[in-house]
Amino acid sequence: MLIPRRTKHRKQHRPDRSGAAKGGTKVTFGEYGIQAVEHSYVTNRQIEAARIAMTRHIRRGGKVWITIYPDRPLTKKPAETRMGSGKGAPEWWIANVKPGRVMFELSGVPEPVAREALRRAMHKLPMKCKFVKRELGEA
Amino acid sequence: MPEVRIDAKPRTEFGKGPARRARAAGRVPAVLYGHSLEPQHLTLPGHEVLLALRTPNVLIRLEGLPGGIQLALPKAVQRDPIQGYVEHVDLLVVRRGEKVTVDIPVTLIGDIAPDGLLDQQLVQISVEAEATNIPRGIEVNVEGMAVGAAVHAGDLKLPAGVTLAVEPDILVLHVLASPTAAQIEAEIGEGEAPAAAPAAVPAAVPAAERGAESRTEDSG
Repeated sequence: MLIPRRTKHRKQHRPDRSGAAKGGTKVTFGEYGIQAVEHSYVTNRQIEAARIAMTRHIRRGGKVWITIYPDRPLTKKPAETRMGSGKGAPEWWIANVKPGRVMFELSGVPEPVAREALRRAMHKLPMKCKFVKRELGEA
Repeated sequence: MPEVRIDAKPRTEFGKGPARRARAAGRVPAVLYGHSLEPQHLTLPGHEVLLALRTPNVLIRLEGLPGGIQLALPKAVQRDPIQGYVEHVDLLVVRRGEKVTVDIPVTLIGDIAPDGLLDQQLVQISVEAEATNIPRGIEVNVEGMAVGAAVHAGDLKLPAGVTLAVEPDILVLHVLASPTAAQIEAEIGEGEAPAAAPAAVPAAVPAAERGAESRTEDSG
């Protein structure tokens, strides 16, 4: 599971949800990819579940890239706790994904296999996504 | 490669407001520069530009400009990341017979040996070619390539008049051994095993920092 090895601060503010992705909006490493259409926080467990779903389907012959990293901690206060008394304990590690961001890439398999593998992976993710292909020859 | 004729109109007002109005009217803001010319700001018909840019390194013949007809290559294209429509195009002026450095796609033909995994390191390669005669791409035949085989830039068969703009020893693609079923299972299993240990989250924080944090919480 993806977790930062060390962090500068243990608890952070919640990441900004506004706007679209500034970079990482094209398929660069593989041939096919999953692009986010909405904003969402994606936890390291969801990333791992999507990766496993993809790997299980393609079996041999494919290569997978994960192009997001869950480097932001989210905290949660315990149930039935009064407000105040400081910020809650870190509960999740998340990647702040904005619309347009390519999150997973895949290569080395035929397109129908890639489509199905990525469709299965999309079911593990918390936002609407779409299948994208690499575009060639554009500056 | 054939030229694509596009009617351009000079742009007189700038900034996001006029650019948005141009896009709403179905046109794309663009800029034309190169050959020590003053940059010219233009608008181009949106749908025609979208179709033209489907061809890699398309040669565009711009008509309707005050300085006469210009030939240009797309230098940079800004697209909407989700819907994919063209937001802005940078066009580079070229002359007939001039040599330009462009990236052309490397496409594959055939299937590698069944126990291999193809790793294509370069999907586009920089070449130097005449602006009016840029190849659409370079084809590499990978039929029956065995594990360990590799293709370097110097091995590519380039069309006449085209030269490499990168070092010839750069790796284009190679064939790796495909992972075995046991390795795949191990990889999947290694992902699933730590999922059962939620205590991993605070463990990423150094103990000293954790102590400092609890002290501040106590004082608050």
